Amino acid sequence: MTDSATTFRSARDSGYLLCSDCEKLHYLSQEGLHCDRCGARLHSRIANSMSISWACLIASILLFLPANLLPIMTFKTFGQGEPSTILGGVLHLLEEDMLMIGLVVLTASIVVPVLKMIALTILLCTVQFGLQTNLRQKTAMFRIVEWIGRWSMLDIFVIGILVALVQLGSIAHIEGNHGATAFAIVVLLTMFSAIAFDTRLIWDNGTSDLPPVSKDHKDDK
Amino acid sequence: MQGTPKHLIACHECDLLIERVVNQPDQDVICPRCHALLYYTTLNSIERLLALSIAGLILFIPANLFPILSLHVFGQSQSEIILQSALSLYEGGLEVVALLILLFAIVVPLIQLIALFYISFTLHYRWEGRLLRQAMHSYQHLRGWGMLEIFLLGVLISIIKLKDIADLEVGLGLYSLAALIIVITLSGIFFNPHQIWHQIDLHRKQSRFYD
Repeated sequence: MTDSATTFRSARDSGYLLCSDCEKLHYLSQEGLHCDRCGARLHSRIANSMSISWACLIASILLFLPANLLPIMTFKTFGQGEPSTILGGVLHLLEEDMLMIGLVVLTASIVVPVLKMIALTILLCTVQFGLQTNLRQKTAMFRIVEWIGRWSMLDIFVIGILVALVQLGSIAHIEGNHGATAFAIVVLLTMFSAIAFDTRLIWDNGTSDLPPVSKDHKDDK
Repeated sequence: MQGTPKHLIACHECDLLIERVVNQPDQDVICPRCHALLYYTTLNSIERLLALSIAGLILFIPANLFPILSLHVFGQSQSEIILQSALSLYEGGLEVVALLILLFAIVVPLIQLIALFYISFTLHYRWEGRLLRQAMHSYQHLRGWGMLEIFLLGVLISIIKLKDIADLEVGLGLYSLAALIIVITLSGIFFNPHQIWHQIDLHRKQSRFYD
């Protein structure tokens, strides 16, 4: 932390809150009321942020197992073909010397979800246990994770396109399997977990050594 | 209700209370603590958004009605439009996946384009705009849930997977989809929430004045 850290002070500690939708500044005493500009309900922090975020994260980690163990689609030509899992599909691409595309699918379907879960766990633990290290890097990590997580839907779209295209009766036929449902819900849950997470909580503990909150402005009103 | 001091702002990512500084049009204001982008200036934002949303709404039609890919094997052929992906999965029993594709690739982009058109049209032509708040909320909350660019990457991967097995033909839908993605991405860049909320503020004060 730099010297200027001691002068940092959150809006909440100074008696203000920011509208989460239009970012207009309000007094903390207006918490629970509606923003006079955009009509959203005013909260100084996202309500139940930690419990919703943890719940979605844990559910997504649990569902990640069936998402990877169950087959996501079955490709049948002339009545022959086996169901394949996500990893099976990636390995098939690598075997056929489609290295680049294999790596793209591997990144989107396995590397990104796993990294996103790890990143969210680190962030939630940071807030849960009041850790005070590398806060700026952690905030940057959150921004990346939030942006990149949606690309995991790639495999789901590929399944959708293949299933729609390859419907040639007994010659060739692709159908989706329930691993795809599990995987789609994993992606959805990690996105919900990131949305529910309030980055301001990361920084809240850092200002605890400051003098008590001044309530002077309330007398002005 | 008395307003809060106009010279103060708070960072939306770390809640740091900061004094507002005046920025030049080419300057971004960054949070000194967490480095989040606080506010910036977009020139002609509303006009650009109006043009882009009209272009997007027009492109949305061919992107959804014309085939994206067609496949020909042994005299049989099959075409794909975006909706067909959702329908095929639904028929195959994967209702949840079908619903998500329907939402992320069709419904969300459409709602966002309509909301953007409504916002930019009412602000530009100074219409009454009773639904401005709702339109802003819909657009802002749906950011990140429109996934057409991921769908396009999915199309490219499908082409590579199928190119050895069958004859593929790229349709008009794919070109429209690519153009639609460019329009949507640009509109995301020119959408400047602080500036638009500020304009809505002014807009409402003016309409009250004329009452």
